[in-house]
Amino acid sequence: MIAFTVIGGYLGAGKTTLLNHLLANSEDKRIGLLINDFGEINIDADLIASKTDSQINLTNGCVCCTLVDGFHVAIDQLCEVEPPLEQIVVEASGVADVHNLAQYGHGPDMQLDAVLVVADAETIQAKAKDKYVAGTIQRQLRAADLIILNKTDLLSDSRVAAVLAWLQHDFPEARVFCTSRARVPLPLLLGIHDLERPMTTSDHPHAHYATWHFEQASPVTRESVDEFLAGLNASVLRAKGFARLQDGTAVTIQVVGRRSEIETTDKDISGVQLVAIGLADLLDNEALDKLARSRFA
Amino acid sequence: MITVFEARKVITMNPSNPVATHVAVRDGMILGVGSLEEVSGWGDYELDTTFRDKVLTPGFVEAHAHVMAGGMMSFPYLGYYDRPLPDGSIAPGIRSYEQLIETLKAVDAAMDDPEEQLVAGGFDPIYFPDQPRLTRHHLDEVSRTRPIYLHHASGHLATVNTAMLEVNGVTRDLKVEGLGRDASGELDGELREPVAMGLCKTGMRAVQFSNSTPQALSNFAALACNAGITTCTDLAGAAILAPKQHRLWQDMTTDENFPMRVIQYNIAAIPGESADFQALADQFVELKQTESERYRFPGVKFVLDGSIQGFSALIMEPGYFSGEDHGQLLTVPEQLKSWLMPFHEAGLSIHMHCNGNQTQQLALETIEQILIEAPRPDHRHVITHAQLTTQAQLRKMAKLGLCANFFANHIWYWGDQHYDITVGPERANQLEPCASALREGVSFSIHSDAGVTPLGCLHTMWCAVNRVTPSGRVLGEAEKISPEQALKAVTIDAAYQLHLDHEIGSLEAGKKADFAVLDDDPLSVEPMQIKDIGVWGTVLGGRKFKAAGR
Repeated sequence: MIAFTVIGGYLGAGKTTLLNHLLANSEDKRIGLLINDFGEINIDADLIASKTDSQINLTNGCVCCTLVDGFHVAIDQLCEVEPPLEQIVVEASGVADVHNLAQYGHGPDMQLDAVLVVADAETIQAKAKDKYVAGTIQRQLRAADLIILNKTDLLSDSRVAAVLAWLQHDFPEARVFCTSRARVPLPLLLGIHDLERPMTTSDHPHAHYATWHFEQASPVTRESVDEFLAGLNASVLRAKGFARLQDGTAVTIQVVGRRSEIETTDKDISGVQLVAIGLADLLDNEALDKLARSRFA
Repeated sequence: MITVFEARKVITMNPSNPVATHVAVRDGMILGVGSLEEVSGWGDYELDTTFRDKVLTPGFVEAHAHVMAGGMMSFPYLGYYDRPLPDGSIAPGIRSYEQLIETLKAVDAAMDDPEEQLVAGGFDPIYFPDQPRLTRHHLDEVSRTRPIYLHHASGHLATVNTAMLEVNGVTRDLKVEGLGRDASGELDGELREPVAMGLCKTGMRAVQFSNSTPQALSNFAALACNAGITTCTDLAGAAILAPKQHRLWQDMTTDENFPMRVIQYNIAAIPGESADFQALADQFVELKQTESERYRFPGVKFVLDGSIQGFSALIMEPGYFSGEDHGQLLTVPEQLKSWLMPFHEAGLSIHMHCNGNQTQQLALETIEQILIEAPRPDHRHVITHAQLTTQAQLRKMAKLGLCANFFANHIWYWGDQHYDITVGPERANQLEPCASALREGVSFSIHSDAGVTPLGCLHTMWCAVNRVTPSGRVLGEAEKISPEQALKAVTIDAAYQLHLDHEIGSLEAGKKADFAVLDDDPLSVEPMQIKDIGVWGTVLGGRKFKAAGR
């Protein structure tokens, strides 16, 4: 299975900064990056193993250009990279329908990880009413598992609060991470892959995020997992975990913003192991402990 | 050697000399148009009386078509309306699922290899509103073992049978949204939008590949010749993105038996995707160095939105009449100027696909900015489709020197749907506003967008002149144009948009000897008969090309 992540957002929102940040920090992960123009990103020359018109092979993955043959061909190309990639990250164009793009993540041997939409805190509200792109922007925000509200440092706190209130009102399901200079902790960007080490401060020195861990030795019912997920609030931006069900099967639990998935796995686990990450000032560990204990105990 | 062609009537589209009976031709060039006496002074000639009872017009110029029209001819046709085929016969329209299944059964029976997949095209569920959706079960009646891929006319959907799902490993546990399902969650065989269609890779690839074969271009040319077309655009050409196709077409078009001039407006990048357009504009200029008599590259094509019937065109307030608005620009508005400018500055002609008038507004405002920063007389950039152009937009287009290329065939093929469903009565009556363009002084052509609708300039003229729909409605009496104006739109005014009006589009001394050879006079038959006028074929550069079956 290759994880599939879509990064969308309008022109100027900060997608390219985000991608450059990702390329500079994902060295222990084999990533295929699909972009529409090589010119815009900075790839460390030391990382480049080889290069063609439509593909740059990196020591830890590769970067493909969608320009020449379109998405189908580019994605097929990435699926055939050896050794196999762990994750494909697609940079959507500024007006792309990210929901449609995300469907590639449901294809054979793929798993949709997340639809991330970067929004410029200063302009997003105006763009959502623009005569040309209102529909496009609203569709992007509706499709986002996580909205990365960027450039908040350019706004007063009260202005940021007003944008958040507007997002909450118009897109009640949205999960929002506020940041500036597109600094997003990698586990938020690419998913939690190491439950023991979901992130450290070196991932993100100025992060306003927090983590929550939960472990339990005994198996649980499928219903209790569903109830636990339904009980999570907007402060949880991502969660990942495993559970042994009472019928003997093991499942992976994955939460990205408002979307959650439960899939069977062959992981060797006796009970429940969960990690959640969320906003530092909002993630309520006590409440999460209480929720988990009440459902799983 | 001079040949003088004699005809019952020659309609020249040269306003100084509108009608004649004889055309003198030497080496593919017109020496003179007039009476026999007037043209005989050029020297010894051979009188060709083949067209003695025919009517000659300038060879038709189709200013918006696609090689797909020829590519799809490799597959059985299952569309609702009759469609002319390259061999001159007519594929009958499919009016029921039973007929569809019977037609496919006959194709299946005629195939030797039982494993080979069957790909067909042209189907459109919009014409079967009272039927349940076509599903894999219908196609399974044709074959349980042979994979079948039915590509829809819209290009956005396909219906496949169970064997096609199986051979591509498509199962119900895939969560791709565009996979159609029945009430119990089983796949029903409908694939919506490219991601889902691409899951049945073997079928989708066959459709895509069909445009790159030599047969695609030769079928395209045969269809054009059968319709009296001597110059035909390929308006989303692949010469830049697929250099291999460029070389193939170069070879094919240099053959003197090749019956048409191909004018290719290539796309520079996949619609919606950004690129280094400055470098691409340089490539377009280089490409022009490879031009020949029958293969030219005047400019670039940009697709800026979707379609009206797909609700993906961006239209102005108050928006769609019914149905959900999926209006979508394929460009970031702030970027469009930087995308177009390199082509404008390189002296290339820009054709912008705008189905929705809000998209068109962006194109107009962007071109206005471009012209302020980089004035260029006589650019003749084109808004193509331009279906919902408003009066205000026509006034602006006239001032900016923009041309319109109206999708007149829509009046017949989707006019009723536009009236009842997509844009409502008022805007449907103003669809393809040819008469308003005349009033406001906007130069325009009219087109088929073949293979979306069949190639056939007489039919397209008929649409613009009569504006009738299949239900019998006249869609906007006030936007009707005269047969003369319609003929102008498929000859000299279409040539004007392609920057070729000094060479083709009218019959005058010094221009190419390109004629459409018609059984009757489109300017004097009953307007409702225009589409039924027989086409003998064409003359291209002085050479006769008889239509298939004549």
